[in-house]
Amino acid sequence: MRPDDSTPVSVRFSRALIRIAARLVPVPRRQDWEEEWFAEIWHRWQFLFHAGAWNKREALSLTRNCLGAFPDAAALLILQENVYARLRSLARSPRVCLAALLVPLLGVAVFSSGFPATRQLLISPWQHNVSGLLFIWRHPVMTGGDRGLPPDVVPAWASESRLLEGAAGFTISQRSLLAPKSAPFQPLVVISDPRLFQVLKMTPVLGTVPKNSGVILDHRTWVSLYGANAGIIGSRVAIGNALFPIAGVLPASFPVLTRQPTVYLVEPQVPGRRVMVVARARAGASERQIDSELTKIAEDATYYFFRSELRFKFVKGAFLAPLGLFTLAISIATLLLVAAYRPNPVRAYRAWKTGDRKPMIRRAAFFSAKLALSLAFLFTAALEWSRSNSALLFGSRDPGSGPVLLWIYIAGSMWVFFWALADQRARCRVCLRLLCFPVRVGCPGCLLLDWSGTELLCTEGHGVLHVPHLAPSWAEEPEHWIALDESWHDLFAAAK
Amino acid sequence: MSDSTNLSHTAALILQTVDNGWSYGFDIMDVTGLPSGTVYPALRRMENDGLISSQWEAEKHAAAEQRPKRKYYRITRTGAQALEYVRKRYALIGKLAAGKSRR
Repeated sequence: MRPDDSTPVSVRFSRALIRIAARLVPVPRRQDWEEEWFAEIWHRWQFLFHAGAWNKREALSLTRNCLGAFPDAAALLILQENVYARLRSLARSPRVCLAALLVPLLGVAVFSSGFPATRQLLISPWQHNVSGLLFIWRHPVMTGGDRGLPPDVVPAWASESRLLEGAAGFTISQRSLLAPKSAPFQPLVVISDPRLFQVLKMTPVLGTVPKNSGVILDHRTWVSLYGANAGIIGSRVAIGNALFPIAGVLPASFPVLTRQPTVYLVEPQVPGRRVMVVARARAGASERQIDSELTKIAEDATYYFFRSELRFKFVKGAFLAPLGLFTLAISIATLLLVAAYRPNPVRAYRAWKTGDRKPMIRRAAFFSAKLALSLAFLFTAALEWSRSNSALLFGSRDPGSGPVLLWIYIAGSMWVFFWALADQRARCRVCLRLLCFPVRVGCPGCLLLDWSGTELLCTEGHGVLHVPHLAPSWAEEPEHWIALDESWHDLFAAAK
Repeated sequence: MSDSTNLSHTAALILQTVDNGWSYGFDIMDVTGLPSGTVYPALRRMENDGLISSQWEAEKHAAAEQRPKRKYYRITRTGAQALEYVRKRYALIGKLAAGKSRR
């Protein structure tokens, strides 16, 4: 029954649907099932054609009826095969395990719109000229807490410091912004003088840095408020109660202060009694040298700080801080794992020398892949959650950053390591499928010095794992794997 | 065989239609007005439960008329007993049975 040229498209399409649905039907019944549906399609088409009733509506109806082939095929599959048992068998395979680990990672990618915080961490330090860039604030010895600095010290530092290339003061606050044709919203408003952008070595992609008063939008605010309209330069925007001209737009990859929607209000003088300072240190200048020099300059400018009152945060270090925390957490988790399981490298080397290397390499690769996927999920999920909108500058005020992130990484990596190892031990040493059919043997209270424990079986017939209820302290490896030879394979094949 | 007396109304309607002589899947869909996604899975289940049986029509008949052979469904003795029971349970099915049969 090959479709000739006169066969309508709808009939061809219906047959194609049947062929797709047939993939669900168990192989022994597939041809029979396909022929039944093809015959019904042919008879319906021919009957209507010869009755002169074949039209577009009937063609559509025929195609719609063929969609029923999918539930029909599924029903046949459920009736013919033990789908539950098949799913359970599938769930034991190592591929499904890796796929299941990949899904949450992809979920983080989707929900975070492509790992922005992770990309920022890994790319920004190399993409932008952040070397030597640092933030400075004050931590008074007497009162404690983070404070800003007197605005007068900034020009003194900028002009007199030998260790700094430049310095600029700024204040940061949340203010309401009113743009035409958009609802009012509250971005972060950074008030600074034009020197801020000189220190950052950042030029707007659109417009310029104003010499007097003006607003520079970050890329995110420009897109969300103005729909990336390039014609907004020169128009006015209300921040608080005053109107300011929009002078420029920053590039999309400018993440130095924060990833929250931010507006940079440039004014000749930074208002306020306290300012934060961004500076660029010369190459080779240490934190201690800078502290000493800046304290002295401030003292000359009539402000007296105790030594070490100034706090510094290098931008590059702030970017890479989560990476350091993660490395520390993994190191702690590894140490705990080694202390708990006490691996024997000599025995492992001996096994490597004498045993079959192929399954060993396969096991190691699976274990590594499992760890890599789980740790990648942990790293990105925690980072995207904690730094989705956080300011690098105010990392200490962000509940998700700093110590909390470290604790998440420590607890998470410990869980990942212990789970990965427990899962590895519960798998077949050959095919890496999860062992099943646990059978309890013996009774620890009844059999003196006799073995009691649980036996687990590989469904493919590769071997049996003996897990004792009470492991003796002298045992090097409490679990004992007994490989089954090929004579058992027929038995397992017959059982299937 | 599962509990054949515990048929749903839809399954009973399909079984009654087969008993009335409508033997092909698409014909049953036309007569009952049920979609193919309901009729065919129900036919599979009832065949699995032994209420109906399916058979291919003879190859020579189809070849003589230059058409592909069709698969038809017939009610079995078990199916007839089950139908007898559900007719009492579903009054409308009983009325349908009393109506004009295709045979």
